Amino acid sequence: MTSELTLLVLRLGFLLLLWLFVFAIVYALRSDLFGQRVRKLQPTDAVATAPPAGNGHSSPPKPSAAAPVFASPAPAGPVSASAAAVAEPVLTPAFGRDVASAQTAHRLVITSGAKAGAEFPLGRDEITIGRSSDSAIVIRDDYTSTHHARLMLWNDQWMLQDLDSTNGTFLDGARVTVPTPVPLNATVKIGSTTFELRR
Amino acid sequence: MPAVSRSSAQTASNPVRRIRIPQKFRNLELLLLIAACAINAIAIVLVQLGALGHIDTTLIVLGAGLSLLVFGMHVAMRFVARDADPFILPIATVLNGIGIAMIYRIDLAYGDVGWASAAVRQIVWSAMAIIAAIVVIIVIRNHRVLFRYTYVAGFIALALLLLPLVPGLGREVNGARVWIGIGEFATFQPGEIAKIALAVFFAGYLVRNRDSLSMVGTKFLGMRMPRMRDLGPLLVVWAFSMAVIVFQRDLGTALLYFGLFMVMLYVATGRLSWVLLGFSLFLGGALVASQTLDYVNGRFTNWLDAFNPAIYDAPGGSYQLVQGIFGLANGGLLGTGLGQGRPDLTPVPQSDYIIASLGEELGLAGLFAIFALYLLFIARGFRIGFAGQDDFGKLLGVGLAFVVALQCFIVIGGVTRVIPLTGLTTPFLAAGGSSLVANWIVAALLLRLSDTVRNQPRLVVNE
Repeated sequence: MTSELTLLVLRLGFLLLLWLFVFAIVYALRSDLFGQRVRKLQPTDAVATAPPAGNGHSSPPKPSAAAPVFASPAPAGPVSASAAAVAEPVLTPAFGRDVASAQTAHRLVITSGAKAGAEFPLGRDEITIGRSSDSAIVIRDDYTSTHHARLMLWNDQWMLQDLDSTNGTFLDGARVTVPTPVPLNATVKIGSTTFELRR
Repeated sequence: MPAVSRSSAQTASNPVRRIRIPQKFRNLELLLLIAACAINAIAIVLVQLGALGHIDTTLIVLGAGLSLLVFGMHVAMRFVARDADPFILPIATVLNGIGIAMIYRIDLAYGDVGWASAAVRQIVWSAMAIIAAIVVIIVIRNHRVLFRYTYVAGFIALALLLLPLVPGLGREVNGARVWIGIGEFATFQPGEIAKIALAVFFAGYLVRNRDSLSMVGTKFLGMRMPRMRDLGPLLVVWAFSMAVIVFQRDLGTALLYFGLFMVMLYVATGRLSWVLLGFSLFLGGALVASQTLDYVNGRFTNWLDAFNPAIYDAPGGSYQLVQGIFGLANGGLLGTGLGQGRPDLTPVPQSDYIIASLGEELGLAGLFAIFALYLLFIARGFRIGFAGQDDFGKLLGVGLAFVVALQCFIVIGGVTRVIPLTGLTTPFLAAGGSSLVANWIVAALLLRLSDTVRNQPRLVVNE
């Protein structure tokens, strides 16, 4: 009923299918196997690679719009990400500081409070902060609400959102009311605990 | 009105909280599961086309029932383990399915149908195993519950191991007394479940006692040697595994238990001296056993001198081992194709020698795909242990993953003549109900661990 040739094709197809399944899994967990993608941060690199990226491909927007705003080290690869950050309607902090993006910020450091000095690496997962034990950072003091605030990545950029907390979340002394981009090394204050996102 | 504005602000932020955890892991798992079930169905169809020349739907319907159960587990995890690892379930499903296809292929060669068919029994056992896994993941909501039952787990392991020695209950198959059975059927290998209980016991015991094990002792040859009184547990476990060799005549299981203990001891204390001490003890014991015990001695000669015609033809000789190697050679790089080889020439091709059978019909390429799946499964287990924040969870994750890894090494190494052949089952693949149940429970525990690990706070600030 089935010819030799069909069986041969089916046999090779099955092996291919098995390997496709293996590689699908490997692809899905590539960041776990090989670590986060490392991006070059040298400014010379950014200059060298940015123009061909803008001219050669039609899809990424011109980096020239992004470059003046973020004068210092612009990430080489994610030109579109930093351009999107500029296009974001929410108020960008006017400190001239780098915004903490997935590429620039690597750790969260507690700067004051009971756990001052503690730090942990930032991944790509969002970080919830509050008194409840299902938060990523649990802060148990008199000022913290159950679900107080959260840090999440929007367009590869860390945003701070207050979750309607009673005593407020402060970014460099100003109360956060709408989701706000967090600059690198800016002080975020929740209750009596402060922390910063650092390189 | 302030009250109104407050409530409206709350309703505005509530949806944000509800979608706080997107089920991206579960969606990825669903995609992979669909692919996994497709692979399993295709494997069975290919076996039928290769061996029968036409498609017969009975087994495919049974397999579809199994797929439904797996999807049931997936749905259960959407509710009770949303953040669990998305790769473990699909990998276990594919391995289990390929195993069923291969067992079915051997049934076709033997002409077994209906209840005599090992594949049908394997499907029934798989169903029970998956149900057991679902129960574990629903009942155990936090792995730290197990920490409370450390010593209970130790006693359960001991009791399970002693069960086959109880007269009337124990069954002896091929010389190894590791089965229990009621009546003629429903045989079970309690040692498979015991390995999980042992992993829980070792993890709990080492978390409680590791400081005294790692900190004190005199330096000797540049290594810190443990004190005599701390050697106690090591010697007990060693004596225990030697007893398994002598009384149950099961070399592989003894190696598995002892290896598990050594690795968990090493992970807990970071002292190489323990591992060196342990393995020299085990090697010494095994050497003595190989000289004094007939069956251990036979295994060694079969391994070292397999192609000697005298040993090949001897009863209990290397016939099976050599047939398996011939099968692998017949498969070559791409295999003979499912249903088109002669794996049935090797004795017990559906359980101990399923790797040789698969190697013959899928070839080196297919066998390596299967090894890659094992590698990914074990790597996920280590990764879960690595990411854990409580010591018990770390140790348990590493221990469970290592049990699967060591079992793969012992079986596959034995079949390919890297180490002496010992009777253990290939996880998820081989025909054998107890092994399936145990390995699915291991998978469920790893899933539970990965879920709690991801849900743990990364930092707790207490005033």
